Amino acid sequence: MTSSMSNVEFVKDLVNKNFHPLSQEILSPYQISFVVEKDDVHQLLIVLKTAGWIQMSYLSAIDWPLENKFELIYILMNWEKAVHVQIRSKIDRTVPIMNTIIPIFPGAKYYERECHEFFGIAFPGNPDYEKQLILEGWDDIPPLRKDFDPRAYSERKFPQRVYTEDFSVTNNEPSKQAKRAARKQRAESLRGGKK
Amino acid sequence: MKSTKFTPASNLSKAEIDRKWWEIGDYFRRNSLWLLMYCTGCCAIELPPAMTSAYDMERLGMGPMATPRQADILLVSGYLSLKTLRRLIYTYEQMSEPRYVVALGSCPINGGIYHDSHAVINQLDQYVPVDVYVAGCMPNTEAVMNGFVDLMEQIKNKTATGWLRYKNNNAWFKQNQIDSLGEVEVYDEFHE
Repeated sequence: MTSSMSNVEFVKDLVNKNFHPLSQEILSPYQISFVVEKDDVHQLLIVLKTAGWIQMSYLSAIDWPLENKFELIYILMNWEKAVHVQIRSKIDRTVPIMNTIIPIFPGAKYYERECHEFFGIAFPGNPDYEKQLILEGWDDIPPLRKDFDPRAYSERKFPQRVYTEDFSVTNNEPSKQAKRAARKQRAESLRGGKK
Repeated sequence: MKSTKFTPASNLSKAEIDRKWWEIGDYFRRNSLWLLMYCTGCCAIELPPAMTSAYDMERLGMGPMATPRQADILLVSGYLSLKTLRRLIYTYEQMSEPRYVVALGSCPINGGIYHDSHAVINQLDQYVPVDVYVAGCMPNTEAVMNGFVDLMEQIKNKTATGWLRYKNNNAWFKQNQIDSLGEVEVYDEFHE
């Protein structure tokens, strides 16, 4: 039985021997994250799968509108060596294309479809990445992009309830916030010992 | 001795006889309401105490029912996404009349904490008629039981007429459904 720290070290050595990650971070004894170039992702996934990271736990994306990038995150799990490996890679946001990883992890099919639906990322090689999965008959830009405004969409699409009466509480009681802050300050001032 | 077997036909009109039969039906109906629980949201957590020995809805004659065809109440517990709303409309239209809708929580009333979500509708009564709303996020179990008793009162007073509204204003409801959903038909690749 190998210890958890040596498991993380094992992954780290394995990756650094074959690739040049842009950055890496040990998040916990059971989690490690690598930021790699877009072109390295598939090779890295193959290496990790061969080394025992056989379970593709998750694939999702993060939108970075200021950098004009999408960050794809692949999370892999090994049942022999309990380490989650995150592989992060940034792709262009205006024309987001990432080759599919179905040949490596067939289960990623549905993750890629979800990713396409919520972020609009194209996955050539996945036979039906454009088919709808969760949203039915969506008619706007993908909803998890940061420039999508859910409130405007909700107001446009769903009727809002209009209240003729005002139901807000008006009991004229002073706010308890100031009192609470004063109490907290007094409790702090009474605290002994080293600060 | 006068036979009781052949009592003369009553001189009530047909409408009055119908009304009497309807009242008899309402009496039995309100004392044995069967729920179709559409547990879409977190308010469904209030149902186990309502059903089991803590509040015991069986003493009101209420019980769970598995199919929409035999249920009286469609119980919507919590928020409804667009996707669930399609299935809910299917379910509602499968139920036999008279049918009642009870909605739990603040989400079916005005959207609740999901009022600005792209996926969750804001007002349930635009799409299907709602007889009883139980407000709260989430409502406690006493409130839920109160809502059921309110529904029984409404059936007794003939004010639980949501299903009639759905029949008479069907075009309005259908238009609202299409405005928000685009299309009510469900295309599901996993069940085709």
